Amino acid sequence: MIDARISGRVTYSQDVELDGMLHARILRSPYPHARVRSIDASAVSGVVITRDDIRGYGRYGPQIQDSTVLAIDRALYAGDPVAAVAAPTRAEATEALYAIEVDYEELPASYDPVEAAQPGARLVHETAAVSENDAAYFDMRPQPGTNVCHRFRIRHGRDPEELWSSCDAVIDRTFRVAGAQHAMMEPHASVARWSGDRLEVWTGTQTPFNLRGELARIFDLPQESVRVVCPPMGGAFGAKTFVRLEAIVAALARKAGRPVKAVLDRDEEWQTLNRHPAVIRVQLGARADGTLVACRMWCWADTGAYADCGPGVAQKMGFAGPGPYRWEHAWVDSDCVYTNLPPNGAFRGYGQMQSTWARELAVDLLADELGIDPLELRLQNVLREGDRYVTGEELHDVHYAECLKAAAHAVRWDEGRRGKGLAALMKGMQTPSRAEIVVEVDDEGYAIRCATAEMGQGARRTISLLAAEELGVDVSRIRFPDPDTDVVPYDTRTTSSRSTYVMGEAVREAVRDLKASGGRRGHGKMEIPGGLDPDTGQGVASHHWHQGAAAAEVALDEETGAIEVRRLHTSIYAGRVVNRAGAELQNEGSMIMGLGTALFEAIDFADGQVVNANLSDYEIAAFADLPGELTHDLIEREGAEIHGLGETALPPVPAAIGNALGSLGVHVTELPMTPETVLGAVDARTAVKVP
Amino acid sequence: MSSWPEPDWLAPESFDEALRLRAERDDATVVAGGTFLAILMNQRMLTPTAFLSLQRVPGLDQIEVDERGLRLGALVTHRAVELSPVVRERWPALAQTFGVVASPRVRNQATVGGVLADADYASDPPAMLAALQARVVVQSVRGEREIPVEELIVGHYETTLEPNELIVGVVVPNGEARATYRKFRTRSHEDRPCVGVAAVRRPGALRIVVGAVAHRPQLFPELCDPDAAPEEIGRAYADAIEPIGDVRGSAAYRKRVIAVEVRRALEELAA
Repeated sequence: MIDARISGRVTYSQDVELDGMLHARILRSPYPHARVRSIDASAVSGVVITRDDIRGYGRYGPQIQDSTVLAIDRALYAGDPVAAVAAPTRAEATEALYAIEVDYEELPASYDPVEAAQPGARLVHETAAVSENDAAYFDMRPQPGTNVCHRFRIRHGRDPEELWSSCDAVIDRTFRVAGAQHAMMEPHASVARWSGDRLEVWTGTQTPFNLRGELARIFDLPQESVRVVCPPMGGAFGAKTFVRLEAIVAALARKAGRPVKAVLDRDEEWQTLNRHPAVIRVQLGARADGTLVACRMWCWADTGAYADCGPGVAQKMGFAGPGPYRWEHAWVDSDCVYTNLPPNGAFRGYGQMQSTWARELAVDLLADELGIDPLELRLQNVLREGDRYVTGEELHDVHYAECLKAAAHAVRWDEGRRGKGLAALMKGMQTPSRAEIVVEVDDEGYAIRCATAEMGQGARRTISLLAAEELGVDVSRIRFPDPDTDVVPYDTRTTSSRSTYVMGEAVREAVRDLKASGGRRGHGKMEIPGGLDPDTGQGVASHHWHQGAAAAEVALDEETGAIEVRRLHTSIYAGRVVNRAGAELQNEGSMIMGLGTALFEAIDFADGQVVNANLSDYEIAAFADLPGELTHDLIEREGAEIHGLGETALPPVPAAIGNALGSLGVHVTELPMTPETVLGAVDARTAVKVP
Repeated sequence: MSSWPEPDWLAPESFDEALRLRAERDDATVVAGGTFLAILMNQRMLTPTAFLSLQRVPGLDQIEVDERGLRLGALVTHRAVELSPVVRERWPALAQTFGVVASPRVRNQATVGGVLADADYASDPPAMLAALQARVVVQSVRGEREIPVEELIVGHYETTLEPNELIVGVVVPNGEARATYRKFRTRSHEDRPCVGVAAVRRPGALRIVVGAVAHRPQLFPELCDPDAAPEEIGRAYADAIEPIGDVRGSAAYRKRVIAVEVRRALEELAA
């Protein structure tokens, strides 16, 4: 049978049709920062909402309550929704946008996270309240009177500043990473319907319960009065998290008294959610024998005009920053900073690509300085079984050395390392978190009631396979309907590559419960405790860690700066593989996405405006861009916990390619490594010592 | 309040009807494969009130060879040029150039007439066609004329076509030639070029056209000394061109790449 995704039989959110449904379009601010003096929508023939309609609604935001359904006094980025209309057809709604007159007073804007983080910088938000829902799962540390909406710190050992004089080699380098677009095939799409004080929403979301909570807060309803149904998604990569279009369609539907649907145009995606641009300064120190002594990092994560889950991104960028090494001392300050760019949020890798890029390049620079092979330096210092990470947590099932050796082997590191580079990755999984699931028996077989969202990653198949294995039945007897918060039990969310492990544990417990009870319904639950103190970074960052390494081999055109990636390999710790085809595709997809990030993906801004908001001017990797050899390992261990694979192979890819260039004496600090950037580094090259 | 009615869709079934509609409806945007227009319309840079589609006009999709040379009809797709046995055999650099445009999906749709009429600075084929001294055949209700490619494209999206004229096709002359096209990309393989160099060497003559670096293809006959060293000509082209900067590279970077890629193109021809 042809897969429903290929034959076109899948009902995505944008395919949901309800009786009497209207179609919505959003009017967006053309200015990166502007006071909204007046809005005149009297000429609109259709349903329109402006600030006057939404003033009474609650503020929202998963971690900081800084968002309103539409801009009220000021529009904070070019693309900030200022009004929305609903009409019988999308074309009529589009036309109606032109009937709205908005008088703006343009205001000065900020685009640089380092400048915006300074004391005295112009404030994007004057006040910010910490949210009270489970997306704010760690203590927030907004810095009052600044644009820093969260500051995460690690204080492990002594202040590295006091130690540099006792080190034999010290590296101090600042790295930059450009913003990126998720560019999933299916754009954001949401449908809302009210029945009295009950709100129903059909939407592609990775976070159905967070969304339910936020909508309940916005419209001042009990959570049970909000129903979120989550059809399968045509890709998400972090873009479909928390509140996106749902509040606007719900506010329109309430005013219209009819259901309302919105589907974004492609260019609106760049105005909706992107990946955090970041600036990261790294200092590393070591002794002459290769012993790593101290790591100091400062991260500035540019979260744009609304925090979204940026505090969480900055925290993970920070806590994964020191990486899988035995640092005697590690201090990190990671700031989540407001600017007047479009909001940045979750993106495959969740901040950890940015800090891995900076640290792994710095580790190679340190190896050069010490005259030690970068693989040897890593293996000498890598975290091993029973070690404690810089957060204080004890590590088990540790495979970094194995991943590094496998990656090095794949590029024949021992035959000479010119043009070759390595990078190691440690990546956290959402901790703490909780998953619940129900397995029901009926005449047709088994039905799974589960909030895990299908976004092309194959979650439904993987969880069904685990249930089938535990039940001892063929997987074809198991159904997995769309998550519906009226029906499915609670789950934290489908993020951070957690579902196969956490929901997988829960489904096995549910099947055991079903069998033990002899009834028609089994319930399973998996809770993982932990969390970090944001001022010291001590505690449990991750229940278990996603571990991996990448290796690359490149050829450089020294006259133009163009690089050809000839070979790319990742070695990823899987623990146990459940769905092999799916696992392999996750690794390959992550690597290809990492390749785009490494070589050319970048959102170009001019005075706060995205200038390449289309898939012609913004390029993603195509098949013709793949390296001659693109390979990977899934490392397994008998009896191990399942380790999620949705993201692990992405973050180390740019760093491995960067280090491959470094082996030629060409030291880039910026992503992407466009030929022009690389040629600048070729011009700056000094002597090359690599064998 | 502005109101946007659905644009008219004019679909003539003969060439004469197409010419007549072209003369009558100067508001109509001519559409062939639509790959370029779709981008402009999605970006809301273009909101036509009418389309004049050539898809039903017979005879414009032919690839023929006659005593003058190769004739490509306006509706011949990029993919058809790329795969045509006669083009591959006798004008291999032309087949190669059409074959490096975007992806097969785009090449199956985009046409020879379209890529010339668009006058998009970042397209590959115009530079190669200009280097091969191709001439564009255009017709109007008043008759036919021919325009050398380098005289057709005069600016950013700007051609010397009269409002009532339609491109019928392009003629690529016969004659012994060695030719090459070098597409230098800075991003995906499916991207447009940052610098495109088309070079054609005929007995005692050399012609180099650099595309994607300025508002129109760059040709400097006075610098094309067939006896000069490739490196010297590369430098001279880099000095002569005032490049633009865009998402694919700054002006200063393009200047450096022009010098390198012109030299490499000439070295390829010498090899």
